[in-house]
Amino acid sequence: MARRLAVLAALILATFAQIHPAAAQEKARVDLVKVHSPAIASNLEGNPADRTVYVVTPPGYDQHPDKRYPVVYFLHGYFVEPKAYAELFDLEAALTGAGAAGNDVIFVMPDGFSKHRGSFYSNSPTTGNYEDFVAHDLVAWVDAHYRTLARRESRGLAGHSMGGYGAMRVGMKHPEVFSSLYVMSAGGGSVKLITREMAERAQADDGTVDLSAPVGGVQGDLAQLAAWSPDPQRPPNFINAGLLADGAIDPVVQARMAANSLIGMLPQHIRELQQYEAIMLDVGDKDGLATDSRAMSSELTRFGVVHKLEIYDGGHGDKVKDRLRSAVLPFFAAHLDR
Amino acid sequence: MLKKLAALAATFAVLAATPAMAQNITAPPAPVPAGITVETIKVHSPSLEGNLEGNSTEREALVVLPPSYGKDKKKRYRVVYYLHGFAIDGRNFYNFMKVPDAVNNSAKRGEEFIVVVPDTLTKLGGSMYSTSVTTGDFRAFVAKDLVAYVDSHYRTIAKREGRGLAGHSMGGYGTWVIGMTYPQTFNAIYAQNACCISPRTETEESAKKLSSLPIEQGVKADFGTRAGLSSIVAWSPNPQNPPYFADFPYKGGKVDQLVIAKWAANSPYAMVASHVPALKSFRAIGSDAGDKDGLLHDDTMIHEELDRFGIANQWAVYDGDHVNRIGQRFDEVVLPFMAKHLDKK
Repeated sequence: MARRLAVLAALILATFAQIHPAAAQEKARVDLVKVHSPAIASNLEGNPADRTVYVVTPPGYDQHPDKRYPVVYFLHGYFVEPKAYAELFDLEAALTGAGAAGNDVIFVMPDGFSKHRGSFYSNSPTTGNYEDFVAHDLVAWVDAHYRTLARRESRGLAGHSMGGYGAMRVGMKHPEVFSSLYVMSAGGGSVKLITREMAERAQADDGTVDLSAPVGGVQGDLAQLAAWSPDPQRPPNFINAGLLADGAIDPVVQARMAANSLIGMLPQHIRELQQYEAIMLDVGDKDGLATDSRAMSSELTRFGVVHKLEIYDGGHGDKVKDRLRSAVLPFFAAHLDR
Repeated sequence: MLKKLAALAATFAVLAATPAMAQNITAPPAPVPAGITVETIKVHSPSLEGNLEGNSTEREALVVLPPSYGKDKKKRYRVVYYLHGFAIDGRNFYNFMKVPDAVNNSAKRGEEFIVVVPDTLTKLGGSMYSTSVTTGDFRAFVAKDLVAYVDSHYRTIAKREGRGLAGHSMGGYGTWVIGMTYPQTFNAIYAQNACCISPRTETEESAKKLSSLPIEQGVKADFGTRAGLSSIVAWSPNPQNPPYFADFPYKGGKVDQLVIAKWAANSPYAMVASHVPALKSFRAIGSDAGDKDGLLHDDTMIHEELDRFGIANQWAVYDGDHVNRIGQRFDEVVLPFMAKHLDKK
């Protein structure tokens, strides 16, 4: 009898363990998954359509199989793969800390890397349609595979640097998907016009990528041209840098650069931005991008889009880890519905 | 740009009763063949609420119903939304295009449609079918408010596959930009003699001239000047800069490049590269221009841009100018194009 009971107990425990695979998830857990993106498939740079995605579930996720959670989508910056941000942030500790403070949230960071080290989260046949990847493919996948609150009121979008650009860009176009935005140290705010030197350098590039090259140089120009001035007819980089025979730059290339700047796009998206429950911009006072963030904030104010801008003591990247904990996650705790 | 506008104004002058200042274009009432029913509706547009020009949020639209609509009460119909050009209202465009004849001729060919002609005339002569806090969100008016109204009041095939979008001149421009912004609403698009394809630019001289025009004169100015002003309020709105509520392209003695950038973001030619998935999602895209049309060069460019991006499109250069054969082509080219590319159920 005792043995039978022991067997029964073991059976019950085994069954219990199946329902609750890790009986106590005391810390946040970082899952590294692959998400297939039809939007990125068949791009001309050969960027993989199966994207690495970090999905962090909060402490207690396994113990509460009926509970659903809000989701924060975070877009990383230029030049690095998402791994660099995952390590910088120490995601397990950050989300464990948020959970301990009562902010149980799923955190999702997709791979926005590309051949020239950054997609700018835009739609381009050269890079692939990263904008659609984030707003459609990724959100649908996460909602299908995790216990999310699958509605706009419970989804936030954030990003840093190139990812800040991406958060604002994707956010402006998809208020039906997200309800609050946190834009950290955004790049791509002002209009970047192509100079003759930039165009000559970009057009002379042979398409081989040196991943050990330092930041700056031709690579960043190639990334932005691939995102915003693609040309499927011009291998090896499938870009149009606009260099004309007389050394001038094709006005349409400048127009494309302008059309993809946040400040150029903004006036067409006022009604969308007004649908957000909350919009936050921040930037370090020693960051070269502070001017752009101030300009963006003035534009938003002029158009009556309620938002906040915080300028903090810091540079482009030195405070980002702290601010994820002290500002970004608390912002979403306050604004996402549970 | 100014030269182009002058050419455009000249071609339009043939239409106007008097090519005087500030006249909007008029046309005698269109004949309505037996069997065709035309209804005038007023559509309330939430997307236009709060616009700073005081443009009406109650928009007139003419709804042309095909012969069997009143008889076969179970049948549902495809709808073609047809957008007018600058300095004309919806009704006069409908008259000029003889839309009832076109709907009747199409029915005789066995292809019945409802054609809807909305009015988007604004204070300065045209909405540019753009999204502006100053003029109103006319893209959403067409793609959301108008479509929702028509689907809920008429027996339409109320899905993407049953809807087409077409327009002439500024309406051709509207077809491009509304199509790229709301691809999920329409299955096929056709731009006739579309204007405003290239990014609008200014010289210091032209920018200065535009920027110094009092609004009392602006509303009464010639076609080209009003087209310039309408582009400004549509593309570089500024709620804090009365009386136009827009940023002019002239600042500190120079052309203001930020304003030029905002205009660039409204150029269909510049938009194509970042709207490839939207454009590829259409079942069909068509465009045309007359060989004597001042806009032939621009319209050729956007057709070639679509080709460059591998976006299937149909393109025609025909014997004509900006205006003289557009009604005939709506009947003989645009409606047959829609017949081929919209689903009958």
